Amino acid sequence: MKEKITIPIGPQHPLLKEPISLRIDASGEEVLGGTLRLGYVHRGIEKLAESRTYTQNIPLIERICGICSHVHTTTFCYAVEALLGIEIPPRAQYIRALLCELERIHSHLLWLGVLAKHVGLETVFMHSWHDRELVLDIMEELSGGRVSHGINQIGGVRFDVDAEHHPMMADKMQKLHERITQFMQIFEREPSIKARTHGVAPLSADLIRQYGLAGPVARASGVDVDMRRDDPLPPYDRLDISVITHPDGDAWSRTYVRIYEIYESLLLCEKILQAIPEGNISVRARRKVPAGEVVVRSEAPRGEVVYYLRSNGTEYPARLKIRTPTLPALAIMPMQLAQIHVADIPVVLAGVDLCIACADR
Amino acid sequence: MANKLMPEDFLRCVSAHTQQPCELTGHIINETAITIAADDLHDIVAALMEELNLTHLSAITAQQREDHPDEIQVMYHFWQGGGYTLIVWLPAAEPVLTSLMDIIIGADFYEREVAEMYGITITNREETPPLLLPDDWDEGPPMRRKEKSV
Amino acid sequence: MKGRTRLRQTINSIYRWAQKNSLWVIHYNSGGCNGCDIEILDLLTPRYDVERLGILAEGSPRHADVLLCTGPVTRQSKEGLLQIYSQMPSPKWVVAVGSCSITGGVFQGSPTVLGGIDKVVPVDLYVPGCATRPEAIIAAFVQLQERIAHGK
Repeated sequence: MKEKITIPIGPQHPLLKEPISLRIDASGEEVLGGTLRLGYVHRGIEKLAESRTYTQNIPLIERICGICSHVHTTTFCYAVEALLGIEIPPRAQYIRALLCELERIHSHLLWLGVLAKHVGLETVFMHSWHDRELVLDIMEELSGGRVSHGINQIGGVRFDVDAEHHPMMADKMQKLHERITQFMQIFEREPSIKARTHGVAPLSADLIRQYGLAGPVARASGVDVDMRRDDPLPPYDRLDISVITHPDGDAWSRTYVRIYEIYESLLLCEKILQAIPEGNISVRARRKVPAGEVVVRSEAPRGEVVYYLRSNGTEYPARLKIRTPTLPALAIMPMQLAQIHVADIPVVLAGVDLCIACADR
Repeated sequence: MANKLMPEDFLRCVSAHTQQPCELTGHIINETAITIAADDLHDIVAALMEELNLTHLSAITAQQREDHPDEIQVMYHFWQGGGYTLIVWLPAAEPVLTSLMDIIIGADFYEREVAEMYGITITNREETPPLLLPDDWDEGPPMRRKEKSV
Repeated sequence: MKGRTRLRQTINSIYRWAQKNSLWVIHYNSGGCNGCDIEILDLLTPRYDVERLGILAEGSPRHADVLLCTGPVTRQSKEGLLQIYSQMPSPKWVVAVGSCSITGGVFQGSPTVLGGIDKVVPVDLYVPGCATRPEAIIAAFVQLQERIAHGK
């Protein structure tokens, strides 16, 4: 009978980019399970939001997470606009969607590098993060910031996509096309990646539904849900989105779904740029929001983001509730850990694509 | 893609499992909401899961509204093609909820967060350890309204 | 006597030259949004390539010269920060990256946030920005190297 040991990972560990405490129980090389301790990144954002005006809250909400900052502010702004009863101009809707898709690309490329590093392909990590710079360049040209953009405001967006941006974007997106095709070929043909991810930590569709997961992890287990198609914010209701799923539910499926999603997001960016109409980019919005309640859902790079907002007729939100996709992904992680060997822990952690800053808020 | 749930079916299923009168309210934009009694929560959710396949629990929101300072409102946000919310009201002095973990495992983290932020006691589960607050937190449930001292 | 002083000075300057050109860094996130952290990781990637300055990202605090810290220090992560700082051998330097590591940034006023790394450990360099650009972090390292070259 092998002795049981506990492997502590975190809060500081080379495997982790963010502080989280994992205690993994193992017997020999087999992992028996694990427990998590969250809260290292808890900044009390929901409480802070109640003492800032709606406009002051936008920079706060942008900094819930550095990787999916735009989708958080987009969801918040749509929530406030719903309570105000205003509809933003179509051009602003398309610009918001363009940045959402660019953010999805940069987030998945980040994940791709981290996975490659954990699997042992250091060069792919370097290449994918270098290509990620192309996306950050586009976002910087459009908004002035690489990581936090500040492009959303209540009533629309603050910066426009000018005619002079189009050739620069087309050029960089063309380069990204070629690079992502190369990554797709590497990941599909490289035997070491397949050996390390095939059959590792499978999650059944039933388990996904019990935990209420939606996002790339759910789609990798065959659950066909995508908030951009099924509960769309404008302009996704006017765009043709193909949702990528894979039936197997193992680490390879999660890899496959995310890589093809990068490609799909690039195509979506091109569709958005072709369909973007002329017009204003914002409308005036009152500072005092009439009393009401609203729930808005959107598709972040990691899954479903849900915002509940209640206003009481003042300039300050009465209650803001944010549910981020990493929370159920973390809840399901002990189930994944219970099926693997110690050497597979990095692959499982990378496959979940954790964003603890989002989960802890 | 799962079939979209229709509001009439939602109302019918909920009404069949409670003695209280139920009605659909549209006061939350994008959501179809029904207010139910806290004691009926577990049975209603079990019925919704079994009869209508409504299994996707997105979030549990709790709040202490300034227009109802003696109560805590807890909302369970479900989704199936559209948003469906169950609302329960608990007394602020002694809020008690029944855990849904035995039918929806994913409710675990949401219940823990609501319990630590509002001081809600959750029955029907082994223990409710804190989720996000630091180990040395001793200032009480942080999201509760602070009583103004005279 | 003079020869010995000159010898000691030469040895000291060689020592400082070696030290400033081989700074090993440990990176700790004390509760930030991750924005500065991904910009720090960007330093390792080909566009910014901080390894040409001799900087290497290390996993163990015992090997590190510099603690590169982000985040406003949440109450839960304070203990981890103190432990890492105490495990680093002297001479060591602390660089606080990002607005929230200097003053708490947008999270000022939250009861779970301490509001800056210098509330917990002594800081040598502050690099503002939200999120801090990789160029700013490289400039901070260059300043740190100059400081080391002149004997701190």
